[in-house]
Amino acid sequence: MNEPVKQALIAKLTALADDELILAHRNSEWTGHGPILEEDIALANIAQDELGHASIWLNLRSALDGSDPDRLAFFRDALEFRNSELVELPRGDWAFTMLRQYLFDVYEALWLSAAKNSTYPPLAQAVAKILREERFHLQHTQAWVERLGQGTEESHRRMQEALDMQWGYVQQLFVPLADEHLLVAEGIVPDLAELKKAWLLHTTQHLQNSGLKLPLQMGYQPTTRETHTEHLWSLLAEMQSTARWDPEAKVW
Amino acid sequence: MPGKFGKPTDPDYETRLAEFEARIARGEKIEPGDWAPEEYRRQLVRMISQHAHSEVVGMLPEGAWITRAPSLKRKMILIAKVQDEAGHGQYLYHAAETLGVSREEMLEALLSGKAKYSSIFNYPTLTWADIGTIGWLVDGAAIKNQTMLAQCSYGPYSRAMVRICAEETFHHKQGKEMVIAYAKGTPKQRQMAQDAINRWWWPALMMLGPHDSDSPNTPTLVRWGIKTKTNDQVRQEFINEHAPEILEAGLTLPDPELRYDEATGNWIHGPINWDEFWAVVNGNGPMNKERLEARRKAHAEGAWVREALAAYAARKQQTAVAV
Amino acid sequence: MDTQWPRWEVFKQDTPSKPHQAVGSVHAADPEHALLTARNVFARRPQAVSMWVAPASAIFSVTKEELAQRPTPNAEREARAAISEYLIFRKTSHKRSMTFVDYVGELEATSPEHALKLAQERFTDAEALAWWIVPASSVTKSEESPETVESWFAPAKDKTYKQQSYYGVVGSHASKFKRPKGDDDE
Repeated sequence: MNEPVKQALIAKLTALADDELILAHRNSEWTGHGPILEEDIALANIAQDELGHASIWLNLRSALDGSDPDRLAFFRDALEFRNSELVELPRGDWAFTMLRQYLFDVYEALWLSAAKNSTYPPLAQAVAKILREERFHLQHTQAWVERLGQGTEESHRRMQEALDMQWGYVQQLFVPLADEHLLVAEGIVPDLAELKKAWLLHTTQHLQNSGLKLPLQMGYQPTTRETHTEHLWSLLAEMQSTARWDPEAKVW
Repeated sequence: MPGKFGKPTDPDYETRLAEFEARIARGEKIEPGDWAPEEYRRQLVRMISQHAHSEVVGMLPEGAWITRAPSLKRKMILIAKVQDEAGHGQYLYHAAETLGVSREEMLEALLSGKAKYSSIFNYPTLTWADIGTIGWLVDGAAIKNQTMLAQCSYGPYSRAMVRICAEETFHHKQGKEMVIAYAKGTPKQRQMAQDAINRWWWPALMMLGPHDSDSPNTPTLVRWGIKTKTNDQVRQEFINEHAPEILEAGLTLPDPELRYDEATGNWIHGPINWDEFWAVVNGNGPMNKERLEARRKAHAEGAWVREALAAYAARKQQTAVAV
Repeated sequence: MDTQWPRWEVFKQDTPSKPHQAVGSVHAADPEHALLTARNVFARRPQAVSMWVAPASAIFSVTKEELAQRPTPNAEREARAAISEYLIFRKTSHKRSMTFVDYVGELEATSPEHALKLAQERFTDAEALAWWIVPASSVTKSEESPETVESWFAPAKDKTYKQQSYYGVVGSHASKFKRPKGDDDE
């Protein structure tokens, strides 16, 4: 693998990991505060899986550049993170969390299915593992969107508000990184533009079946993973606080 | 189906009671539908629901640190542990439900402040090392109890406890590993670990319940196969196992009178401050109000979600019937 | 009053060669939701290859003691009553266990009582301590496809950090630390 491709892959793996890490963090905030005991258990499963995925991506990066996953997670500053803005938004109410998870799960399931044939074997192997967990997540969140969309007037209203807020943000999942085209050319990762079509089809259909309307105005759409919302700094201040409290510690 | 529960005023009470106690003596499990004294049912509902509430409230002191876990692995492990606690609460509510009490009723009792839960969860978690310490000491104490309860005569409770025991061992081990690692770590980590042990040791001892002399329920519970050991017996086992290990790790215990007694093989401990225990049990501990408030809030904020799914299900059923 | 949703009993099959076993219950709103929830609650750890759920209210349960007190009413097959399928579960041991009744088979009957009678006649290989009679129409089952088994049940095997063996063995013998009576702490 030549150097530009390697650097592009490192950047992509970081972006994949950061999405999982930050989303897992937001989901884990619900633990102990969910609407019913069984859903605490369900969302905790998704959060664990996502952290596992973040570790997998960071380990793949480590194999390329010798970086330490924990060091990357707990000692980078906000502007060095490469997650999408969608995942750093506060968890909101249950509708907000379930909708965000659904929209992300559809994207991830499609991306992973396409990445199964990656020409970079470690990535293809990682994908196989992650995909099987993702399939279940999608079944779960898809069911929730339908139920909340059609449940009561209140649940419907909350879902619609969440959709109005998130629709612009979620488009960023299909904005490639600066050098991602190098990876696509090598067959290492799938082309996001292609996936977007399938994603739009799937989500539009399901959202409409769930009684929801796509917002007429897209609203704000982030265009690069190099900037973030105001939320990320505070999120990281909390997330990294213990690690940064004793940076000399070798073992946690 | 909940069983038949007999009162001492029932004409056949004595005969039924004798047969019931004979069944327990033979090692048989009492299952939903079987005859049992109303007192057996009452004690079990109290014990099991309290146990369930404890698991659920117990998610809060540890859950608070998920967002501040210092490594990817520790974060995953802590989420898994707190998730297990939710699961354990879930299994226990199920066991209580077989005795004819609904989860709605049990939650109502908890949130209104009427029901008790383990006082240990009314203490605050002040540093990351509290997480490891809780795993080592609190789960260590819980395991002693749970191992005993797994042999309990009531089928659903016994089964829940067997499942919980199998899952709880990792809680204990991950905590022990963590604290021992910090005791051998940087000076900051060592101090953090020692401070946590100093704060949690006595509450863990108290968690195993009042002294036998102050435990009126125990004799009945022993006779009916719900408890097989007294509080003091379990407490002694706990200290005998944990005191030497903590000392071995290079940490000290906040008990100047703690010593090993050659003759009995027991570690003798200093007097327990029961005033503190009763204050916490009666609602005046450091976190009592906050814990219940957090549960009330989650419950209230979740109402629209529960209603939405119930409405969806009702409509789906109507459509099915209409077809 | 608040709803915690209805209860669904969960049956889990550990491996293809073992029967489905009652493992506990979940609160859920509808059949699909109940199945997803059962997986979340009971497949956190291996093993599992299949799961069934049925509303707790649909289950006819009876213990050996209940039968002794009041034998099954004469539940002969009624000539024009509708026949339906029932799943039969049975407990045969008082041994320590985390599961309750095991699946033994299916049969056709005109009522749960009738199904019980037939079950008592058919499944005689061991003494039944408790029976559960479950209408087949009330049962929702997880998909049997390899894809579903892979995504529903296999991931639990990777979460080795939930097993105690994942953590280093750190114990030591208590006899290492004895203090003579009367010494002060450091």
